[in-house]
Amino acid sequence: MMRITAPELEIAVLVLGMVILLVETFATKIDKRILAFAAIAGLAIVLLASFFVAPSPSPDQATGFWSFYTADRLSIFFKQFALVTTIFVLIMMADYAPVVRRSFPGAAPQSGLGEFLTLPIFTCLGLMYLVSAIDFVFIFVSLELVTISFYVLVSFTRRNPITLEAGTKYLVLSALSTAFLVYGIAWIFGVTGQTNLYRLTEALANPAINHNAALLGMGFVLVALGFKIAAVPFQIWVPDVYQGAPTPVTAYLSVGSKAAGFVVLLRVLQPFLVLPETQRLVVLIALLTLIYGNLAALPQANLKRLLAYSSIAHAGYLLIGVVCFDVRAVSFYLVAYLLMTLLSFAVLIIVAQQTGEEISDFDGLARRSPFLAFAMLIGMVSLAGVPFTAGFLGKFYIFYAAVLQRQVALVVVGVLTVGCGFYYYLKVVRAMYWQSTTNIAKIPVNGLSRLAISALILCTIWFGIYPQPILDALKR
Amino acid sequence: MSSFLFWVFALMTLIFGAAVVINRNPVASALSLVVSFLGLAALFMSLNAYFVGIIQVLVYAGAVMVLFLFIIMLLNLQAEERRRINWLAAAGGIAVAVILLIEIFLTIGRFEAARQTFPSLSESTTDDVRSIGAALFRNYNLPFQIVGVLVLVATIGVVLLSKREPR
Repeated sequence: MMRITAPELEIAVLVLGMVILLVETFATKIDKRILAFAAIAGLAIVLLASFFVAPSPSPDQATGFWSFYTADRLSIFFKQFALVTTIFVLIMMADYAPVVRRSFPGAAPQSGLGEFLTLPIFTCLGLMYLVSAIDFVFIFVSLELVTISFYVLVSFTRRNPITLEAGTKYLVLSALSTAFLVYGIAWIFGVTGQTNLYRLTEALANPAINHNAALLGMGFVLVALGFKIAAVPFQIWVPDVYQGAPTPVTAYLSVGSKAAGFVVLLRVLQPFLVLPETQRLVVLIALLTLIYGNLAALPQANLKRLLAYSSIAHAGYLLIGVVCFDVRAVSFYLVAYLLMTLLSFAVLIIVAQQTGEEISDFDGLARRSPFLAFAMLIGMVSLAGVPFTAGFLGKFYIFYAAVLQRQVALVVVGVLTVGCGFYYYLKVVRAMYWQSTTNIAKIPVNGLSRLAISALILCTIWFGIYPQPILDALKR
Repeated sequence: MSSFLFWVFALMTLIFGAAVVINRNPVASALSLVVSFLGLAALFMSLNAYFVGIIQVLVYAGAVMVLFLFIIMLLNLQAEERRRINWLAAAGGIAVAVILLIEIFLTIGRFEAARQTFPSLSESTTDDVRSIGAALFRNYNLPFQIVGVLVLVATIGVVLLSKREPR
């Protein structure tokens, strides 16, 4: 049997992206949504192939390819994570096609749609490289690949002034955070003479190294990564960009970009754990993020904005896991976060095209479409952390890790803010099941979306009861 | 190269760099930036880094500046000339510059490595083109290839976002 190695997965995704781009260019007559289905099929094959890849941490970290790229268990797991996210985002994008079409008035009926469906493949490529990166140079390059494709996706429907504002804000603030990243890397390189994370660990163990200067560089890198994962105080861009971006892109941004950011954060923080100041800094950021995200979410009336603040709040819980450096808890939480966030966004996209994005637009959804209302219910209770959902177990593992490490402040604030979360998530449930509405038109759901949403519901409940598959995937 | 020429080019870079900010006329600002870049290229060459110096002239003073001038002429930035100086922003900018200056002095003062002189390129066995090529294509081959994908995505994005639809 032919052996598949990890780098071949990325090459396959790259070739897929190129082929679809060429088909998009030359086959002008076809329905562009076929491209989405081709991309989904292609990515699904790569996902299937990824299960046959044997994890192998880089054998030779001296020079060349393996000094940049690792194929350890964590990276393969998150490559699959990126592929699954991209597949679901593409399904949502196919649903979202009419909105994209409306934003190009007067042009050919399918203008722009092909690129909208192709760019996520390149973003996925960037995410897959990012989770394998073990060298600051490579982290920077793949992070930029992700960010630049997001610049385009966020401002895609630029005829809409809100989207244009979101695109500009994301561009400017993201460029600023990149500047911080490069400056931080320069400091770390200047102090230790290394960019490879493993050799950095050895270099930092040397007492002759100036640790304050290394910490300064670490601080700058933390600013840039804090921007990617939407941690306070680097979250100012989140609400406006999440609200203004096309909804599937918002979902992609909040799941894909954040997960890759956390993997990089885990890898980058590892060499610096020998310095006690690092942990104190992350604890502070986690506390701020938890409090701000949950409190600011309370008064929101727009569901997309609510999900933006909830994304900040979840970054806070994930940061608790980072403080305790429990890779499995963080990974499980990210999987739960993927399921419930994509579920909420998938329902939001379908409902928003019929009514709107405000929470009041969800009034009486239970009667208009029991299926969508149930899907949203599962998404919301899982985000809030009700038992027997993946979201509950995610929070459980995080808090368990924090209790073991005696991080009292984090546990207390974390539990209090979970209570806060119940209020704003259940506000949506109340609108769907207890508010009445005059509009009782049924909401149609197409077959592929119905399948995707059903799969997400099933997985949310399944991993909430039986989390072993995810934990096993990272243990061996 | 003598230190006299170093001071000439360093002062040229700095004075015209300041002129970019101080000038109210956008075209004058852009042309000052060209001169500043040329001074910087001369400094690179004085360090025997001919390749970097020439790239500095070709890419920055050439391609990037032509782009800047095109945009300035297309956008017709008359309002910029009448705009008052924002003193708060000016103070912020000066503060950042002062902090960076203090940082440079602290770094040179505290670090042994920052005071060491690097071996001159003219005395080494390989030229700078060869060293840069070896770094890009041998040591940093993987990131270099990913940059290729990045440029492709950026090109698609630019075409998409600047395309004008027929009305």
